[in-house]
Amino acid sequence: MSKRARKWVTRAAVGAAVGLALGFAIGWWLWPVRYTNTAPTVLRQDYRDDYVVMVATAYEVEEDLEQARERLELLNPEEPAAPVVELAERLIEADGSTEDIARLARLALALGATTSTLAPYLEGQP
Amino acid sequence: MSRLSSRRAASVIGLVIGLALGLVYTWGIAPVEPVNTYPALLRADYRWDWIRLAALSYVADGDLDLARARLDGLEQEDVAGAIQALIEEHAAAGRLADTLRRLTTLAEALDVHTPAMLVYLHTPMLLPSFTPTSFHPHTPTPSPTSTPSPTPTLPRASTSTLSPIPTPTSKPTRTPRPLTPTPTSPPPFQLTQQEQICEPGQAPHIEVVVRDEHETGLDGVVVWLMWPGGADRAVTGLKPRNGAGYADFDVEPGVSYALGIGELGMPLVTDLRIESCPARKGKEPLLGSWRIVVRGFRPSR
Repeated sequence: MSKRARKWVTRAAVGAAVGLALGFAIGWWLWPVRYTNTAPTVLRQDYRDDYVVMVATAYEVEEDLEQARERLELLNPEEPAAPVVELAERLIEADGSTEDIARLARLALALGATTSTLAPYLEGQP
Repeated sequence: MSRLSSRRAASVIGLVIGLALGLVYTWGIAPVEPVNTYPALLRADYRWDWIRLAALSYVADGDLDLARARLDGLEQEDVAGAIQALIEEHAAAGRLADTLRRLTTLAEALDVHTPAMLVYLHTPMLLPSFTPTSFHPHTPTPSPTSTPSPTPTLPRASTSTLSPIPTPTSKPTRTPRPLTPTPTSPPPFQLTQQEQICEPGQAPHIEVVVRDEHETGLDGVVVWLMWPGGADRAVTGLKPRNGAGYADFDVEPGVSYALGIGELGMPLVTDLRIESCPARKGKEPLLGSWRIVVRGFRPSR
């Protein structure tokens, strides 16, 4: 390869490296892919928590266990009751709303996944 | 000069190729993972379900601020569509009037209107038996520019007493009167008869006859017919040649109707459909109408 050709290739390689870096910066930082058809499972944690509380509340209004189960399966297809129990226990630790905990406990019970920590909330105010 | 151009061309070609590869990789092969999203980015069906859940939660806790915070950042078109569908679905299914009244109150507060909600607006409402509390471990921020305030500022109602919730309205022409709940008292209207009418030459219709306890027709009773996507209202006694207490509606086959009586619009009959009459030999099958007879109680004066 002649010296001139080597210089040409070097310049092209430097240009490609700069372009690649620019592409990464644009694609991951400046102008990343914007998702618009997401599922509840990728909601921010606080929204996910709110989703679970709303499912438990809607279950009290509609009394439709299958629909509640289908909604929760969007968060955990294997164990739909797991997000309910996990949130209820987290709320108990954080001294959250007893009414929300009671609703979650009732839904967990209906889904056959209650725990000893939730039991007092099924019988009334602990 | 040509050498300089050649060097520039090499840089530009390299830059373009690098940029293209970088974008292909970051947009196509390894795009950023969707995490920490918010409800407005949910797929359309999940977004509708989110709205339905927020509305049903409002039915339970009556917290308008919380409902607004949960719906903040969502398109008004989505909110309107989902709540309309929910109200119509519940009306057609003959859900509790209190539930429908709460849903319509929320719809009105959110500037959502659907014919099926007309019957439930501006009627007194009792607080539900749910204890009104809510879960607020977070401050939802659906988008960087929006700052919803989910922390309720409205005074919470006590669960030990029942009191009417004023229906939000721009024209405060009606003050809800206090109600004394009488859960054991009989409902003001009871279904006493539902029969299919098979008369040739008649368009499918639903006729309603409201009678008092002495079998006398009651005029002036409001009757509501609701179906997915609409509602109609009639008053008994406006067709005297059909007898006192009579009202009717023209209906269409293939639609599920719900019938409500009185100002409160309590659904008495649900899933009312126009069906074919039993076939008769040598005659074309007829579409049968319905005759609904309801017993009401004459209001005390």
